[in-house]
Amino acid sequence: MLKLRKVVMAMPKQQPERYDKSKKPGSLPYIWKRISRNPGAMIGFSLLCLIIILSFLSPYIMKYDYSAVNMSERGATPSWEHPFGTDELGRDILSRVLYGARYTLGIGVGAVIIAATFGMLIGAISGFFGGKLDTLLMRALDILQSFPGLVLAIAVATALGTGLVHSIIAIGIAFMPIFARLIRANMLSIRGSEFIEAAVVINCSTPRIIRRHMIPNAVSPLIVQISLLIAQAGLTASTLSFLGLGVQEPTPEWGSMIASARSFIRESPHMVFIPGLFIMITVLSLNLLGDAIRDALDPRLKD
Amino acid sequence: MISYIIKRILMMIPIILAVTIIIFTLMNFVPGDPASIAASGESVTEEQLDAIRESMGLNKPFFERLGLYIKNVFLHFDFGNSYTSGTPVGPELLTRFWTTFRIAITGMILMVIIGIPIGIRSAVRANTAEDRISMFLTLIGNSMPLFWLALLLVLLFSLTLKWLPSYGSSSWKHFILPCVCVAFEGMAGIARQSRSSMLEVIRSDYITTARSKGLSEGKVTYGHALPNALIPIITVIGSQFGRLIGGVVVVETVFSIRGLSVYLLNGINTRDYNVVQGCLILIAFLFSVVMLVSDLIYTFVDPRIKARYVKIKKSGDGNAETAA
Amino acid sequence: MDNSEKGTGLLSVRDLVVKYTSGGDPVHAVNGISFDLAAGKALGLVGETGAGKTTIAKTIMRILPDHAVKAVEGQVSFKGENILQIPESSMRKLRGKNISMIFQDPMTALNPVKTVSDQIAESIGLHQGVNKKRAYEKAVELLKKVGISEDRAKEYPHQFSGGMKQRVVIAIAIACNPELLIADEPTTALDVTIQAQVLELITEIRRDLNTSLILITHDLGVVAEICDSVAVVYAGQIVESGSLEDIFDHPTHPYTQGLFAAVPDMYQDVDRLSPIDGMPPDPMNIPNGCSFRPRCSHAADGCGEGAISMTQVKDGHFCRCCKAEKLGGESSCRL
Repeated sequence: MLKLRKVVMAMPKQQPERYDKSKKPGSLPYIWKRISRNPGAMIGFSLLCLIIILSFLSPYIMKYDYSAVNMSERGATPSWEHPFGTDELGRDILSRVLYGARYTLGIGVGAVIIAATFGMLIGAISGFFGGKLDTLLMRALDILQSFPGLVLAIAVATALGTGLVHSIIAIGIAFMPIFARLIRANMLSIRGSEFIEAAVVINCSTPRIIRRHMIPNAVSPLIVQISLLIAQAGLTASTLSFLGLGVQEPTPEWGSMIASARSFIRESPHMVFIPGLFIMITVLSLNLLGDAIRDALDPRLKD
Repeated sequence: MISYIIKRILMMIPIILAVTIIIFTLMNFVPGDPASIAASGESVTEEQLDAIRESMGLNKPFFERLGLYIKNVFLHFDFGNSYTSGTPVGPELLTRFWTTFRIAITGMILMVIIGIPIGIRSAVRANTAEDRISMFLTLIGNSMPLFWLALLLVLLFSLTLKWLPSYGSSSWKHFILPCVCVAFEGMAGIARQSRSSMLEVIRSDYITTARSKGLSEGKVTYGHALPNALIPIITVIGSQFGRLIGGVVVVETVFSIRGLSVYLLNGINTRDYNVVQGCLILIAFLFSVVMLVSDLIYTFVDPRIKARYVKIKKSGDGNAETAA
Repeated sequence: MDNSEKGTGLLSVRDLVVKYTSGGDPVHAVNGISFDLAAGKALGLVGETGAGKTTIAKTIMRILPDHAVKAVEGQVSFKGENILQIPESSMRKLRGKNISMIFQDPMTALNPVKTVSDQIAESIGLHQGVNKKRAYEKAVELLKKVGISEDRAKEYPHQFSGGMKQRVVIAIAIACNPELLIADEPTTALDVTIQAQVLELITEIRRDLNTSLILITHDLGVVAEICDSVAVVYAGQIVESGSLEDIFDHPTHPYTQGLFAAVPDMYQDVDRLSPIDGMPPDPMNIPNGCSFRPRCSHAADGCGEGAISMTQVKDGHFCRCCKAEKLGGESSCRL
């Protein structure tokens, strides 16, 4: 050991560059710098921010309350008074649609948080310990994954019931295997890699190895996926509500708004069109952002 | 080779069994009394409800009911009776399964024959305008909620243009929009995956070797790059199938098709849990079979993986790998 | 090697310049390379990683990745014709038939889903117009020639070890008896014993077919075994060129001298190796004047201005250094 130190000390010291955080791959400034060059990502990011801000501000700045029923004006086409028209109960669609952003996004984010937390826990344990525990956990995941995503969410929602929180749990469970398998695969490959051997050689303690070496490396590929997965979770959330199993009326969730508008599609297509457009814009923004993050972290895809 | 296939099929059985157990358990703890559902609409006394429960076998202990259910399902294909209609669930499941299956498979075929060429073309013309537009369109496609698209297509093709029917499942015309929608759900993912898989392959060293032989670009792209690129794409088809089935659920709802998913959703709404159980088990079964098939195809298409599972017949030296 | 001569040899490269783009920034990979190669002779292109050697090879074959290339200037004459200007369809007829290449990494150079005989036969079928059966037979003969038995012909690349894969690559390269063979670090990825076998194979083939060879390597030992002439490449330019004896006995350019000095001496005990101080210049940012100046112990003010041209040290021995006459001397190389 001493000899190694001698050699390391004897090596000529190179002058350190000024510590430019944006040059460190994987760190937040680095990601931001790469993303800000991508026009699509910036559009996506701005749209997303806009939608979130408007959603929070809408109860204060909107003329009409999102739940205010006005039967005399139901099914009205877009006009100055109601820029997006009114729905089948005369409620202003603009207010409803802006307010409703919080549900799709909220469920999306909430579901991903649940999926990530439990998925990473299971995946990390499985990947780190290996052996029988690994096999057991993977079989359990196999069973979970023998249902396609939406169907699993439907099954869980059936068992738990409808509503916001139950939707988050249902979708979270459906997405969990993705995280679990990703982390597990990364853990398995890291476990055998040389820099872990190096850490062991310099007498690094096990918890420290896990904390400082394995986890950061296992988790980073996941960061790439997060935005994209939130987008998927949001879509699933609105689909679940459309099918009647998620957030219920009169809550202005975009999916359930479309469901109620379905029977009026011939006379008032705007009632179906507008909320769906918002779903698409929101999910598109998340996808653009997610794609840009992924490209920023994977130089191979540059060309 | 055959033994590997059989082994994989056998491995599927415990999983389906476990799935059945879990679904049964799940449904068992959901609030709702099947007896009251069966008797819905009529006012019944507590004793009559009890009698109904007895006749439905609901008073037996949980594990006994579980065992009975498993036996019935796997040995007799008897999924019990619907609480609401009293008729057996099994036969209804079968007819509806066939409808759902046809939509899913047609959708998948459409998805593959449109999605893969789009992706490959994009990869070959990487970073050109065509590529960027293509990929942007797939991004939009990926972001669209399918039920919304389906409704808009109904608006356009059925209500406005009156070319296609908007609901029902009696003629082949009824299936055009549903299948297109289902294909759409997975197409974006397949196109993107085809593109990135092809891009990665095109940058490989062996493609440079192929070019250095003097082969034409066409031969290099389609003779050398494509076969290699297709291998990971096949796995993606398998995993996209999950999304596809989600798409089938949505599509059946929007187009009011007498398929498995509508049966399932109705069952959920009416708390008819025998129906719900049956549908879920069958969907899980269908999904597992498709995943198995795609896994097997993947194994046999890639010589490197095939070698692991198939004994190579050799004459001469027995070792497949010898030192240089 | 007189720069003004058209060259009666097989291959004649004049003032080759190749620029890449990488994420928008230009990369000066090759900055004015000129050399000649006569029929049946072997030229060693020596230099560190990143000096531009592979780029030269790929430019001659015109298999540079299109999307990354910004500019190619200069002239490459093969049998009198400038092959940089001919249409792609004509170039394709030369590739694999008259000029072929052996690649650096055998592990990734072969198509994983085709059998080795298929990959060899493809070249034969393409250029020699024989039917499939005949092409297969010829492929098997070639495999035997490189030392692979017939019953392995229908196997896939992953079933072979690194050394054998490289033999397959060689078989593909010589399938149509090319006049010029370019070997890009053919033994770098292999261990030493296999290296010797592969080099022996290449020498044998050269003898049998009288093929010209451009051998790209950073290993001076390999050059000593096979090459007739040597060109030392640094930062995209040739800094010294001459016959094997010229370079090995009288290395003139400070870089060449540094390379030889870095070779450890079998007969001497030393505490440390003597590498050349510093790093090769970043190809995105080539400095003015002599590209070796930052690392050169003989550097002076005159070295930093303008491009340095080749000076003739002896007949056929050239050096790109303004102090060439003073430095030319005995080498300390014991190869």
